[in-house]
Parts: sequence; C-alpha cells; structure tokens
Amino acid sequence: MKEIAALSEKTIILERNEFLKVKGSIDTNVYYIESGSLRAFVLDNFEEQIIRLGYKENLIVPLDSFLTGNPSDLYIQAIKKTVIKVITKAQIDVFLKTEANRNLWIKILETLVVQQMEREIDILTNSPGERYERVLKRSPQLFQEIPNKHIASYLRMSAETLSRLKKS
Amino acid sequence: MQAEKLIQLLLEETRQIINQAEKIKTCDMQILTWRENAISWNILECLEHLNLYGAFYLPEIENRIQNSTTTTDAEFKSGILGNYFAKTMLPKKKLNKMKTFKNKNPLNAQLDKSVIDKFIHQQIKLLELLNQSRSVSLNKVKTNISISNLIKLRLGDTFRFFINHIIRHLNQINRIQAAMQNLRQQP
Repeated sequence: MKEIAALSEKTIILERNEFLKVKGSIDTNVYYIESGSLRAFVLDNFEEQIIRLGYKENLIVPLDSFLTGNPSDLYIQAIKKTVIKVITKAQIDVFLKTEANRNLWIKILETLVVQQMEREIDILTNSPGERYERVLKRSPQLFQEIPNKHIASYLRMSAETLSRLKKS
Repeated sequence: MQAEKLIQLLLEETRQIINQAEKIKTCDMQILTWRENAISWNILECLEHLNLYGAFYLPEIENRIQNSTTTTDAEFKSGILGNYFAKTMLPKKKLNKMKTFKNKNPLNAQLDKSVIDKFIHQQIKLLELLNQSRSVSLNKVKTNISISNLIKLRLGDTFRFFINHIIRHLNQINRIQAAMQNLRQQP
C-alpha cells in the first residue's frame, strides 16, 4: 500500500460531506486515504446503499471505472474532513513496468477479490446478527473509525438494529 | 464536442456545485439571512431562486428524455440561440446584472435551512438526468424554456444553460459572503 501511495504527486483535502466522485463520472484514479474516512455508495431511489467504507491507510477506487474507463454509478463522499493522495492510472501503468511491482499489484488485487467475496457472502447472509458478527470479526477497527449510521447502511440494517446488536 | 465529454464536464460542474452547497449548509442562520441592502437577496434567497428554476426545468427535462424515441449521438453541436443563452448566463468579470422574473423572485420569502437540502436534492436529480441523457440525442431532444413558449433549446444546451445559471448564483453567494466579511472587518 505504501508503495502505491508513494507514487502520488497530488493531495486533495475534502471537508465533511464533500463529494470526491458522483454518479456517472469516469474516474480512473486510485485514492490513498491519509486521514479521515469516506463512503462509497449507490443511490437507489434517493436511498443510499453503502458499498464500501474507507479510513486511514486504506485505498479507495471506483474499480469499475478504473478497470474499464467507463462511467461508474458510484458516489464517493467524505464522512469527515479527509486527506487523500491521488494516484493516476498513468502512474500505476508506469509503476507496473517492473516485475517486482507487478507481483505486488497482483497481491493487492488478489486481496481485493477475496474481500469482495467476503462482502458478497455478508450481503447474502439473512440474519442481521450474523452479518454484524462477520464484519466485526473481519474488521474490528471499522467500528472505531466509522459512525454507526454508516456501518448500519453497509450492513443493510437500521441504526437501531445495529445498536441493539452491539449491546448484546 | 463529443457528447460524452460534455456530459462528463457537466457532471463535474454539478459535483462542485453540490460541494459548495454542502459548505453553505454549515453556515449559521445569521450568515444565511444576511443581506447587503433591502432589495438584495440573502444566501437562502439565492438558493430558493435556483430551486424555483429547478422546479420548472428538472421535470421538463425528465419528461422530454422519457418520451424521446431518439438514440445517442456521438457529437453534440450547440444551437445558435442555445449557445448564446448558455454563455450569457455565465458570470463575467464585470458584473452583468440581469432582471429577475417576478415569479422567480424569492425576496423576503420565509425561508429556513431546508432550502439547502431541497437544493442538494435537486442536484442529485440533475445527476440522474445527466446519466439518463446518455441514451437519447442531446441535439434532437428539445426542451421548453421558462421565459418563452416560442423558443425550444437542444437538451445539451438546456443542461449548459441550467447549470451555468446555478454557477452564476453560487458566485453571487460568494460575493455576499465577501461583502459580509468586509463589513465585519471594519472597526
């Protein structure tokens, strides 16, 4: 991750609730979060469905746009004041010219595939309690970094249900 | 201009508009309702003025897109009138004042912070319509405009005109904030 972040030549500061990306835009950058937190979501009839959450030392990417160069439906918004480093696709392409870097990149992508699979199982798990337990076990730090209402949306449950589960 | 390029440009402008609105939302009512003189608008009135226009244009655009049988054009070419309207809307270095139509003047309306939420909500709708416009012709789909029944604009120009009008009044909000700052700094 640090190797990727080091490629960046541009830093962006987002205030709370500012949008990094909106629906329909083509965004082929990779973003490294130095501080703060972000959420990636889609809007379904004005209702937010959070797909990904990111906090310090994470990467956040509109992966569909990054890989295909096509528009992406994702919104990415700062949850609080956030400092991010921008890494362009061109910088990644240069980085990938050496074999050692390619191996590192494959490792990162492999980790991502596994994470996506875990996330797919999360969403398909019926019991809210089990969904909560899975994410708590996998990413305990998430609960330190992100406000409950966003975690609840990520877990596809109401904030009330989440707070009840946290108490039990 | 490539149609997709125009859409990307307009999406980016809309993103910046939403971000400015989010910043405005953090101001307190004292700032939001301050006016330079009795007949100039405060910040909330500027936004309400934009909401009144949105209430006309957004449903109009949505209708035209949904009822269109056209398909995507690779290129968009501005109409003469549409290009003129869109360009005159943009703020210039020297302030080019414009008359407000009576039914779009919110001066001294009772307004609260919900005006800002309504405004942001309209921008999200605008993003949705920009996305939907990919499947129709930005040239052949025509929309009515609020000031005359005699003129129709190409959808691509309507978007440009509508967004430039918003940028114009967000600039006005910047000026209001600057004027207020100046006043405060005077001993």
